Amino acid sequence: MIETLLSLKGIAKSYGSVRAVSDLNLDIRQNEFFALLGASGSGKTTVLRMLAGFETPTEGQILLQGRDIVPLPPNRRPVNLMFQSYALFPHMTVSQNLAYGLEMERLSRAEVKSRVDEMLEIVQLSHLSRRKPDQLSGGQRQRVALGRALVKRPRLLLLDEPLGALDKKLRGEMQMELKRIQSEFGITFIVVTHDQEEALVMADRIAILKDGGLLQCGTPHEIYEHPGSRYAADFIGEMNFLSGRVRAGELVTEDGTRIAAPVPADVMPGDTVDIAIRPERMKIGTTNLENMVKGQVVATAYLGLDLQVHVQTALAAKPLLVRMTAQEVDTAQLVEGDDVTIGWTAQDTRVFRA
Amino acid sequence: MASQANPRLMFAILAAVFAFLYVPISVLVALSFNDGGLPTAWTGFSVKWYGALFRNGDIMSAALNTLIVAIVSTVLATLFGTLLAIGVEIRRRKGRFLETIIFAPMIIPDIVLAIALLSFFSLLNVTMGLHTVILSHVVFNLAFVCSVVRARLKTFDWSVVEASADLGASTVTTLRRIVIPVLLPAIVAGGLLAFTLSVDEFIIAFFTAGAGRSSITLPMQIFAMIRFGVTPEINALATLIMAFSVVALALSQRLNRGGLPGQ
Amino acid sequence: MKDRSPALLMAPALAWLTAFMVVPCLLILALAFFRRGIYGGIEYTFTLENLGLVFDPLYAGIFLKSAWIAGLAALIAVVLGYAAAFAIAAAPARRQPALLFFAVLPFWSNYLVRTYAWIVLLNREGLLTGIARWFGYDGELPKLLYTEPAVVVGLVYNYLPFVILACYAPLSRLNVEIGEASRDLGASGWTTFRRVTVPMTFHGIATGFVFVFVLSIGNFVTPALLGGGQFQMIGNLVYAQFLTANDWPFGAALSMVLIAIMMGLLTLQTFASEKASGSGRHD
Repeated sequence: MIETLLSLKGIAKSYGSVRAVSDLNLDIRQNEFFALLGASGSGKTTVLRMLAGFETPTEGQILLQGRDIVPLPPNRRPVNLMFQSYALFPHMTVSQNLAYGLEMERLSRAEVKSRVDEMLEIVQLSHLSRRKPDQLSGGQRQRVALGRALVKRPRLLLLDEPLGALDKKLRGEMQMELKRIQSEFGITFIVVTHDQEEALVMADRIAILKDGGLLQCGTPHEIYEHPGSRYAADFIGEMNFLSGRVRAGELVTEDGTRIAAPVPADVMPGDTVDIAIRPERMKIGTTNLENMVKGQVVATAYLGLDLQVHVQTALAAKPLLVRMTAQEVDTAQLVEGDDVTIGWTAQDTRVFRA
Repeated sequence: MASQANPRLMFAILAAVFAFLYVPISVLVALSFNDGGLPTAWTGFSVKWYGALFRNGDIMSAALNTLIVAIVSTVLATLFGTLLAIGVEIRRRKGRFLETIIFAPMIIPDIVLAIALLSFFSLLNVTMGLHTVILSHVVFNLAFVCSVVRARLKTFDWSVVEASADLGASTVTTLRRIVIPVLLPAIVAGGLLAFTLSVDEFIIAFFTAGAGRSSITLPMQIFAMIRFGVTPEINALATLIMAFSVVALALSQRLNRGGLPGQ
Repeated sequence: MKDRSPALLMAPALAWLTAFMVVPCLLILALAFFRRGIYGGIEYTFTLENLGLVFDPLYAGIFLKSAWIAGLAALIAVVLGYAAAFAIAAAPARRQPALLFFAVLPFWSNYLVRTYAWIVLLNREGLLTGIARWFGYDGELPKLLYTEPAVVVGLVYNYLPFVILACYAPLSRLNVEIGEASRDLGASGWTTFRRVTVPMTFHGIATGFVFVFVLSIGNFVTPALLGGGQFQMIGNLVYAQFLTANDWPFGAALSMVLIAIMMGLLTLQTFASEKASGSGRHD
């Protein structure tokens, strides 16, 4: 049984008549790497700021190990935040930035120094300890911000778009770095991000927020393979969507093609539905799958090792995306204008009530 | 679009305007080193008028008074003006009334503020002297300090304040260890500006210093002297005062533009 | 840092401004409506006499004279200042900060000293006389100091840096392409200047004009030093009511009028700037 560290119970936040967060319930476990994922305006940053203490919930409780921390001001919470802008103190050196939070705990000089030195090692900044923030690169600044929050050994570390300011290559490295540090320290991390890929790579569990409410919460695998709604399916990863309708116990697309798929219990005969298939679940050139459709290649694009093929079919106005691996690409030798057959299984097809 | 202008015409304009601005004060500076002291003839280089200046008891006591007024009013104005600037910028709502009050000392004609303060002090039966000059100088000085510090706060990253709270600091600690140090260059620049303004200020001091020689400030002394014509000592004094103002301003500009590294 | 702290931080400064600016100014406002005591004090009975006196032909004349001198100074300062600001904005970008700095520098040296410099120049035994003698001219130069033009020159000299600063700000922000667009559409350089540049930078011109006008009309130092007491301006009149004539209520009324003129002009300036930049867009 994994212990729950943090419970959000019926959290709501309104600014005047604007509701930023409504009736949010979440349980976050000890040592978990948890991601709050959402588009801008989804309320994810407001949730984070309520956890840090910079916003007060209009309703609800925030229980940290069973104790409500809502009445506590930010400086009295065993929770630290890594700011999106990093918010490093510009007039202090790296060491001084790291020491600041420990000095607030009135620790002895020797203790502060030893913990700062230890943290400098961990975030690999020992050689830069006397520099000021403006003499550091983006990645180094990010590590100072992380170290400054971690050195306090909080029970919970909040990270607001921690990798947003870094370039793509550095972001990949830092994702792994964050995971390493998190597992080494055994501290619970809550990351706010709008980048679904980042959430999928780093998090143990993801909560998708939309319009201030919880849409779905689960492991990356659950969320990717079994999105609970069309929005979640669209927001996470690439997805092909077809519009369809349930007619006489069968699923039919707009042009009348029958689609084999597990139909959820809440879909009634006559309902219009959205049918979703991941591009990597579609195969070109196979013949023995439950769903088969003819089409013509209109464009191809390389995504690293993979090839993304755009195939125009009768099923939808937009071309379908099919993702092929390097081996498949080598055997198929596709060019624009080729006529192809696309196939996929019923099991890989998701259906949502429209 | 000014870049399409005729360069020769532009140069001529600049030359003329800069000549107009600088010839009169340059003449003054040159004459302060003229041995004969008269503007009509150059009789050799000398610093004797500077010597005479320092032996003039009236001027020296006025200079001391000015120093007292400028230092005390600058300290008070820097403290109040900085806190005011921080307070105004933290407050999200911008009140028009508040802005007017803060801006007013900079645009009210000196003569109006001067007579208002004179009437105020007389009706309250306050004996006027250097202390009333100080009280009055703080009014416009704090407005100038406030405006310099606010300009710096416009580019201030307020998340460092939240970061400080997040790391366990109280409001007072955050103010003392984060906000004030980051603002320090702007605060010093504002203070220098205030000091310069106070040293140069004449009209308000003239009306609020009360009667008697004991509270005469340097500008009052200069006014009294130049009403009776040109003397070589004034040239020397004027040169020194200008040099002081220019150095203080340059320093203030430098501090404020450079800021702390990284801002 | 959020809830009550802004009020606490602002309290000392606002208390100070209230005690030593707002209250004294309200006092002056009130004084303007009291009667002058027989021996120079204040009699606390309501009267409109003081304000009426402002429009007495004697004082109205001084007002008109002051307005004429202030207006002339403001006009000359704006023409010179705008030209200088335009030339600075036309200079290479890296030289502009230094040029601006040196244009504004004299503004920060002592006002009395700057005025005094003109006494040295214009004095009967002054530099101009010296130069004339040096060229062999032995006769009397026309009287330069203690004249109306001397006062105007002094005012222009003192306030010119501010006008340069006020005009430079909008000029430096002008987009080069707007001027090029005007030329591209067939306008000559002069037409572009008149129909595009000036309207788009009118705010700076208006600010400069109002500033010089207001500070000049209330000035008593320059008329006293360069005018030599030959004529009075409103500033001198206010000065006299408080320090020699001892008619405080009338002095207060005069300064109220001064404030009214200032506020009226500032409002007009805001209005005119909006209109000018607006019409600049529609033309």
